[in-house]
Amino acid sequence: MSEAVVQGTTAPVVVVRSGVVKRLLKNPLAVAALVLLVGTVLASVLAPVLATHDPNYGDLQTVLANPSAEHLLGTDSLGRDVFSRLLFASQITLAAAALAAVVAIAIGVPAGITAGYFGGLFDGSANWVTNMLMSLPGIIVLLAVRAATGPSVWISMLVFGVLLAPSFYRLTRTAVKSVRNELYVDAARVSGLSDTRIMSRHIFSVVRAPIIIQTANVAGVAIAIQSGLEFLGLGDPLVPTWGVMLSDAFRNVYLNPLLLLWPALAIAITTVCLAILGNALRDSLEDGQKIPKVRTTRAARTTAPVASAVSTDTATNAVADHLLVVDGLRVGYPQAGGGMKTVVDGVSLHVDRGEVLGIVGESGSGKSQTAFSVLGLLPEEAEILGGSITIGSTRTVTPGSRAVAQGRIASLRGKGIAYIPQEPMSNLDPAFTIGYQLVRPMVKVLGVSKAEAKKRALDLLATVGIANPQRTFDAYPHEISGGMAQRVLIAGAVSCEPDLLIADEPTTALDVTVQAEVLDLLRDLQKRLGMGMIIVTHNFGVVSDICDRVVVMKDGKLVEGGDVRTILRAPEHEYTRQLLASTLEGKEPMSMLTTGTRA
Amino acid sequence: MKLRSRAALAAMLTTGALVLTGCGAGGGDAGGTPAPGASGGTLTLGSLVDVTSFDPAASHVGHYMQYYQPVYDTLILREPNGDLSPMLATDWEYDDTNTELTMNLRDDVTFSDGEKFDAEAVKANIEHFKAANGPQASTAASIEGVRVVDEDTAVIELSAPDPGILLYMAASAGFMGSPAALDTEGIIADPVGSGPYELDVAATVTGATYTYTKRDDYWNPDLQKFDKIVIKSMQDVTARVNALVSGQINAGLLDAKTAVQGEGAGLTEITNPVDWQGLFLFDRAGSQAEPLGDVRVRQAINYAIDRQSLLDSLLLGNGEITSQITGTASAGYVEELDGYYDFDPKKAKALLTDAGYPDGFEITLPVNSADTIINAAIVQQLADVGITATQVVIPSTDYRNEIFTGKYSLGYYGIFQGDPWVAINHHIGPNAAFNPLKYTDDESAALIKEVQAGDDDAAQALTEYITEEAWFAPFYRVNQLYFFDKTVTVENQLQQAVPSIYNYAPAA
Amino acid sequence: MLIFLLRRLVAGVLLLFVISTITYVLLYFSSDGIAQNILGEFATPEQIALKQAELGLDQPLPVRYLEWLGGAITGDFGRSWFTSEPVVSALFNRLPVTLTIVIGALVIAAVLAALLGVAAAIKRGWVDRAVQLLSLAGDALPSFVVAIVLVTSLAIQARIFPATGFVPFAENPTLWLMSIALPITALVFQLVAQAAQQFRSAIIDVRRRDFVRTLRSRGLSEREVVFKHVLRSAAPAALTILSLQFVGLLGGSVIIEQIFALPGVGPLAVLSTTQGDIPIVMGVVVYTVVMVIIVNLVVDLVNGWLNPKVRVS
Repeated sequence: MSEAVVQGTTAPVVVVRSGVVKRLLKNPLAVAALVLLVGTVLASVLAPVLATHDPNYGDLQTVLANPSAEHLLGTDSLGRDVFSRLLFASQITLAAAALAAVVAIAIGVPAGITAGYFGGLFDGSANWVTNMLMSLPGIIVLLAVRAATGPSVWISMLVFGVLLAPSFYRLTRTAVKSVRNELYVDAARVSGLSDTRIMSRHIFSVVRAPIIIQTANVAGVAIAIQSGLEFLGLGDPLVPTWGVMLSDAFRNVYLNPLLLLWPALAIAITTVCLAILGNALRDSLEDGQKIPKVRTTRAARTTAPVASAVSTDTATNAVADHLLVVDGLRVGYPQAGGGMKTVVDGVSLHVDRGEVLGIVGESGSGKSQTAFSVLGLLPEEAEILGGSITIGSTRTVTPGSRAVAQGRIASLRGKGIAYIPQEPMSNLDPAFTIGYQLVRPMVKVLGVSKAEAKKRALDLLATVGIANPQRTFDAYPHEISGGMAQRVLIAGAVSCEPDLLIADEPTTALDVTVQAEVLDLLRDLQKRLGMGMIIVTHNFGVVSDICDRVVVMKDGKLVEGGDVRTILRAPEHEYTRQLLASTLEGKEPMSMLTTGTRA
Repeated sequence: MKLRSRAALAAMLTTGALVLTGCGAGGGDAGGTPAPGASGGTLTLGSLVDVTSFDPAASHVGHYMQYYQPVYDTLILREPNGDLSPMLATDWEYDDTNTELTMNLRDDVTFSDGEKFDAEAVKANIEHFKAANGPQASTAASIEGVRVVDEDTAVIELSAPDPGILLYMAASAGFMGSPAALDTEGIIADPVGSGPYELDVAATVTGATYTYTKRDDYWNPDLQKFDKIVIKSMQDVTARVNALVSGQINAGLLDAKTAVQGEGAGLTEITNPVDWQGLFLFDRAGSQAEPLGDVRVRQAINYAIDRQSLLDSLLLGNGEITSQITGTASAGYVEELDGYYDFDPKKAKALLTDAGYPDGFEITLPVNSADTIINAAIVQQLADVGITATQVVIPSTDYRNEIFTGKYSLGYYGIFQGDPWVAINHHIGPNAAFNPLKYTDDESAALIKEVQAGDDDAAQALTEYITEEAWFAPFYRVNQLYFFDKTVTVENQLQQAVPSIYNYAPAA
Repeated sequence: MLIFLLRRLVAGVLLLFVISTITYVLLYFSSDGIAQNILGEFATPEQIALKQAELGLDQPLPVRYLEWLGGAITGDFGRSWFTSEPVVSALFNRLPVTLTIVIGALVIAAVLAALLGVAAAIKRGWVDRAVQLLSLAGDALPSFVVAIVLVTSLAIQARIFPATGFVPFAENPTLWLMSIALPITALVFQLVAQAAQQFRSAIIDVRRRDFVRTLRSRGLSEREVVFKHVLRSAAPAALTILSLQFVGLLGGSVIIEQIFALPGVGPLAVLSTTQGDIPIVMGVVVYTVVMVIIVNLVVDLVNGWLNPKVRVS
């Protein structure tokens, strides 16, 4: 970042600009909006040329006439040609809106820059003024101003520009502040270039886009408000504007309702197009983050399970016997530029009742993704690329399906299969009490009464070692500690007596002392309830503590698996050995890590 | 959680209800439900104006009469056809000099606060009327005082003969309120009169609805055709037409553009040519706008206006074009004068050239912000003969005050076509408020004197004079379009914008 | 909690003070011909002078303002210069109508926005795009244009709804509903747009959160997870937007009330500003600011109820 700022401040700007415009032009809606807007502006500028009649001349013999060859859009109540009037009215309406926007920018942007750069007193007082201005309903203020100064489109829009300035002020200030914080440190390193020069060059590029977007929105609002006032009859009636035309048309609505259509369309189309344009601009700026729905090619998907490096599990994958069978699972995420990132690459494993399987690996190895696949809780963007998952007798992932079968897995969750998350605090809904979050699933899944569920919940809380179950029951998540939260989550997971429990790094986020307690608790529960359990972890200590079998994953692939004791004592795979070796236990300090381990 | 589902339920119910009740327009039963017979039920009217004060001295004529008539009686009652009948006064007589009007009063009338109506009350009211300086104060200009002869005889003393006094006693100046309440502040919102109804303050919302309930001990039960009268203030004609069509009001005034809706809904229409509309040419002396001082210029303006086209396009033909300001029912009406000025731009230009303005001239035209269309047409037609009118827009709430201050040389307005003396006092005479530049000349002054003395021929002569001298440029007599539904019968009131309360009755 | 309320109140009062001062000063310059307008064309110069003294128009600006302020603090906003009706009662008589359509619009918009946001966030694809487009249109289209279209098509042409007028609930519930249906629809259209977008983003956001995944792992139905849990956490963002839009809503309601001839505060505001009836205008301005303060406060409280963590702060 720092290099880029110093060297080529202009270079990234150029790239961004053409990229934005290109992306904008790819959006058909934006193009249409742009065309319409440009057309309207052109039409208004060329009004004297395009108009077929004098906009103020009324032919009393053809009053309120329908569209005809002579009068393209008909005539109004004085017999004036609507088409010509509309063109000239566009001039005033658009010019007035432009005035409001210009005033808003002229006041808001400098103020925002000053406040963002200097902060302090100006910032504070400007903030207060901004809040005040934004609390004022525009129409009421404009009515009051009109009472003081009389009807004038220009004064109204000038005042409205002042009312709109806060929005520009805010976004300019935010942009300046963010830039200032970044540059301040870097600028100190650079000699010869003053703060102001860097600031001004960089501010311009950062602030330009939001201002343009906001201008589009503001112009639309200005047109709306202005037309509204004129519609109320509070504008200058001698000056044709869209609002004045609308007002006249409404007064004659019983005689020729068609008259309403033209000014209404003009206002509607212009305001909507401005909004579409503003939105499209914003989208094309953010579009880098959007990932298109990539159609995975046949090649990426396989129907036959990939032969895994480990053969142990394949032989014993007789479906009926095991609680869980994962066979050749492949999971991937479509990337922004096309292509697929495979995070689980041909994993096969099984878990039986009453046994604890550990899935070990570093972060990025795909172990959590495997766990989520089993639970059917993968993020939306994820795609199943191949393989199958069977829980009990239910196939939740079949070869060829792109996602976990939600219908089937949903009925399993809670009762058949449960989940203990890694990070306790973020896994409880902050808006509900602990008690509610325990009771409700039980009521739904087990079908017991609320009272019965509450009793069970309290028992569970005691079981997981919470000192004062009732108090915790009544508390909100932010009122309890991390350790307690994890226990609550464990309680919740086992509350419906699942057959299979998946714990995702259950102790990682906890203090060391608490870790041991939680592990004891897990072991205890597992034995008592006879659950099959999967523990996902990167910690071999946990594995040795609680697991019966273990599989090791690296880069999405299963590299080794088997009995815990066997693996720990005599790891076969190179990687397993490295992993084991990298635990700090029994290590001599300051020894170098062997090569091959990821930095 | 609960919020969501309950709110969603509410939303669904609302939508459901909307769909279910979507068939058929609303037909509320807020209208009159009279029993077959002469009286009963509620009469609901829509009014163009809103009453701001129930002080009888603050009353205006025209549309406002409907607000005051339920609670205040007048000394004299004006029949729908214009004839005068006894009301609080049983009979009256002028003396020889026509400066003393003796009125014999009823002795069986009490106000709603219990006070007795007598000559003292008349005196108190008229003095209050003059002192309060309300909108109709000028109608009492010639009243010097009231002499109480006995309990039921009062003599109104005039400074000079005033042919309009009897009419005024049937209008604002004739409203009689309880003397005890007259000078209190309470009377603004709570009227105390002797009228057939009383204002139900609890059921009244200022600016929206005024409810009058039948008074028990009213001296003339024949005039109490309804149990309740409700007047809704509806300035917006769209609101009125919708209220009429949907049955929310029984009767109301529409305009040319909305009349179509009234007819389509099967309502009955009665027309009443009350106003004439056109240009007031204030500056007949040419003190501000020199060209207007020349009669040929003023006549040119008259020839420049295409009255028929304006009437057809703007009022959809609801009226009669005319060149005189006098109505057909007035003593001063001269039938031939209706077509005195035809549409002749060539003649207009010729006249202007004669007067020394071959290339026309410039003039400032005040424009009512609510009347931009007609003024735009005027500007256009004047321009066609070379007169360039610069428009100055005045907010409609200020318009009347502004143009009658004398700031402008001409202006578009609509005025009722009254009896000669009334019209003279209102907009013809040298001191009339609607003659702001106080123009007068010998001939008109002489004719006015004769009219004052009661000479009808003089009235016609005056009309001729004014028309030939082009004091005004009248466009047309406008028909008031009054609509009412099947539950009531209504009669128009001569020279009044809307029917008097007494003219409504439940349909048989 | 109490401190929070107190702080808000103080901020609100300060805001009121500043805004009313600015407004009063603005209006001061418009009060020249008032006496003439009130009295009518027949007024004599003496009458006019008397009226001006009566209204205090002959006094300097600071004196007039302080007098008004003194009265306002005690709740006495004076009387209309034109109708002599007390300002407070004039406002209170009209408040129910305005509140009905404004609050009705807010509530319906919140519910609709939630539903649309959920649909867009979860269904994605064409539903999402359609909702986005509708939101765009709804947000951009001025509410009075929508109102005009509704009135012309559904009321004037098709005669389904009444084009004007307000029927009090007590008088006839069905007609009441009919009379507010179109006005509220026009207002809702614009409100829903932005709020739906906010809901959508917030829902997409919240759905990614850990606790949502955990709740689903418990066996709760997708519907329950979304409508009970996700919405609750997503609501504050959208409700905040709605409260921000409330300011614009008050303005829009002015025009809507004119179009539908509803006896709300709107027509009062328009009439008083055209006439220059300063006591009423001041009353309307104060009422507007008070409404904004109240709504913001209510939204904050609702957000606090929805999300206990926010309550503490």
